Amino acid sequence: MISAIKTLSLWDLLLGLRVTLRNLFVKKVTIQYPEERTPQSPRFRGLHALRRYPNGEERCIACKLCQTVCPAAAITIESDVAEDGTRRTTRYDIDLFKCIYCGFCEEACPVDAVVLTRLYEYHMEQPGQNIMTKDKLLGIGDKYEGMIAADRSADAPYR
Amino acid sequence: MSQDKCTIQVNGVEVEARPGQMLIEVTDAEGAYVPRFCYHPKLSVAANCRMCLVEVENAPKPMPACATPVAPGMKVHTKSRKAIDAQRAVMEFLLINHPLDCPICDQGGECELQDLAMGFGRGVGRFSEAKRVVRDTSIGPLVSTDMTRCIHCTRCVRFTQEVGGLQELGTMGRGDRVVISTYIEQGVNHELSGNIIDLCPVGALNSKPFRFSARAWEMEQRPLIAGHDCLGSHIFAHLMGGKVKRVVPAACEEINETWASDRDRFSYEGLDAPDRLAEPLLRENGHWRAASWDEALDAAAAGLRRAGGDLAALLSPSATVEEGYLLQRLLAQMGSASIDHRLRRRDFRSQDTEIEVPWLGMPVADVERLDQVLVVGANLRKEVPLLAHRLRKAAVRGAGVAFLNPARYPMHFPVADALQGTPADFWLHLATLVRAAAQGGETPPGMAELLGKAPAPEERHRQAVARLREGGRSAILLGNIALRHPRFADIDVLAAALARLTGSTLGYITEGANAAGLALAGALPHREAGGRARARAGANAAEIIARPPAGLILFGIEPGLDCPGGAGWQRAPAGGRFVVAFSAFRGESLPALADVILPIGTFFETDGTFVNGAGQWQSFSAAARLPGEARPGWKVLRVLAERLGVPQPGQATAAAIAAEVRKLAGEVMPDALARQRPASAIAAAGEVSLQELDLPMYQVDALLRRAHALQLTADGLAGSMPEGERLTA
Repeated sequence: MISAIKTLSLWDLLLGLRVTLRNLFVKKVTIQYPEERTPQSPRFRGLHALRRYPNGEERCIACKLCQTVCPAAAITIESDVAEDGTRRTTRYDIDLFKCIYCGFCEEACPVDAVVLTRLYEYHMEQPGQNIMTKDKLLGIGDKYEGMIAADRSADAPYR
Repeated sequence: MSQDKCTIQVNGVEVEARPGQMLIEVTDAEGAYVPRFCYHPKLSVAANCRMCLVEVENAPKPMPACATPVAPGMKVHTKSRKAIDAQRAVMEFLLINHPLDCPICDQGGECELQDLAMGFGRGVGRFSEAKRVVRDTSIGPLVSTDMTRCIHCTRCVRFTQEVGGLQELGTMGRGDRVVISTYIEQGVNHELSGNIIDLCPVGALNSKPFRFSARAWEMEQRPLIAGHDCLGSHIFAHLMGGKVKRVVPAACEEINETWASDRDRFSYEGLDAPDRLAEPLLRENGHWRAASWDEALDAAAAGLRRAGGDLAALLSPSATVEEGYLLQRLLAQMGSASIDHRLRRRDFRSQDTEIEVPWLGMPVADVERLDQVLVVGANLRKEVPLLAHRLRKAAVRGAGVAFLNPARYPMHFPVADALQGTPADFWLHLATLVRAAAQGGETPPGMAELLGKAPAPEERHRQAVARLREGGRSAILLGNIALRHPRFADIDVLAAALARLTGSTLGYITEGANAAGLALAGALPHREAGGRARARAGANAAEIIARPPAGLILFGIEPGLDCPGGAGWQRAPAGGRFVVAFSAFRGESLPALADVILPIGTFFETDGTFVNGAGQWQSFSAAARLPGEARPGWKVLRVLAERLGVPQPGQATAAAIAAEVRKLAGEVMPDALARQRPASAIAAAGEVSLQELDLPMYQVDALLRRAHALQLTADGLAGSMPEGERLTA
């Protein structure tokens, strides 16, 4: 008897519509990208960069720990003796198609050279552009050093 | 030391030990690991790192296991609180001055200090003062130094002193100011110096050519047999992406112990030489062009067929058994027996009567058990560095090692006597020795003419004979200088006579990596595979070089550098001589001479077999990747034989070919004294210079000539000529 009434009065539908009705009056969460952006944590793991010291010397010392720790084998490094006798990379490639943005490379780096920035808006048009070469990575590092440094110092108290 | 056994307790387990044996040997045998840095089984005990402290019951303090002799009833604890505390304390002290630069250190990942710091180090250092920094000096082109990392275990110092025999490194200063350095401003020039790289437990001494090029954990390790001397040392090639990044010794107690000579360790650098061949080259209208294998093999086959039976082959003494066997079979089926690997030999008078397989006459390890040795015509340290090391061990033990050479070569052990003569006539001393040995007894028959030329024996000759005769196990070893000498036949006859008269073993220190194997494979004009005499002997190396036939195959050699007299070879006018070269490198003399150059692999890239100077058959698999279109030599030979239409049996692997040769050869190595050598009456042309006889140690094959770092060493720059000669040369 009761179930017949519930079926005829569309009770379940009304129950569902009650949720809809309630949400008509709460604050909206939809973001109007690209006019609006979600807030980002300083720990956000986006596009990679290679950093330099303030005097312009590249930080990376070719220890290959990032390449070793990378679970997706996305990093390829070749190293050699540089002109000044230091250990340097002759090749530092990150394959963005392989990368899973886990951030292990950044964790492994003993000199804070490779970092994941907050950049996430990038695209590729040609095959091969997924390979981030050393020049590109250093370029990103140079361009966004202010943001990278600020993010590291914001996160420093929790490390 | 008493051989009696006693019982001690290690961690509560009863263990048998010899009284007087060091504790660390017992704990190692028992499987109770004790951390250590300065202890090395091949070196003397120094006990200066203190890492191996263990607790011994009733001893007031922890004892160093490497320097504590076993006493009956001892109770040892390697893992007790007291032992672990002592080890952790030592580790803390070691880490005080050790820099934290593991990420840029080539030892990182294979570092004993790194490993043990994981087990015994504190997470955080308590030392807040300034760390010690040591200024680096270059000690040569092979070993890089970062002496700030040194923990003063002195393994390298003890190595240069005890194994190298020349103390090239030492400790200076005291306390925390100790530095390891060369005493005077000079490099480490020993031919075994690369071993200090392996011995160094930290990253203070590393390989300079390898520096910063790869990490230990990225590389793949493949076993190989070294292909530069007749010892056949066991090595590992460490590869990354198919490329050899470095070479380290593999432990083989009966051949190279745990060492590798610098020549074996650093020759890999030549693999990437700029003139490495990656595709077949064909001469067309006087110009070289890259060709496909089909074109090149067709051209080679056509040219060789035109030459018909007037065909000869010269191959490197470091070619593999398989390559030698296939090449001689190809030639035999084309109707020629003119094949030779004895490129630098000058005297072939006695080839029919001499030993089928020139070899040491004993296992390599037995060399150090000899009591008396006479080395004739060998710059031994440069020819076979690790054999010289075995002789050094014998000499240090008290054996008398005498030399008979055309020059005074500095040795790293006390030499009983060094007989010396001119390059042309130094062998006359040998005749004098035979006279001295025969005195009072009968002179060996047929040698009157030879002995008549010899000066009368002096006291030192009589002493030398007496040493060989009475000193226990004795041997006479003929080296490369003797083998290359224009009177080798006489030297051989005299050495055999002396060996018979004194009851010594006669052995040969041969050129290249595989002289014995190539002799067994039939790469000789007068013997076929297995060592049996050929029905009709072909032309030997000297005859081929002097009168090149219409068709010539050069296998793995650069005629200008590997064949004496080959430098003068000119290319015959069109339609004349046809030369097919198998080579890993382009070089300068090949393009001037050859018509087709086929790119092959070195021993790093080829499956193959070497038979070493002690008669051991050692097969190995290709380790590195061949560049471009290059192919293993034995495969190219098979395909070329097919193109020539000569029958090919079914073996398709190097192992099958080696097995076939081995079946022909049998297991037994011949006794050098079993053959009667008639003294030859024909006198050979006499004059010869030392430079022609003694080849600089880093010039012996094409790969070494391209090994950059080796060429920068003192031996590489100066050759291996003795001081006086170097000034006049």
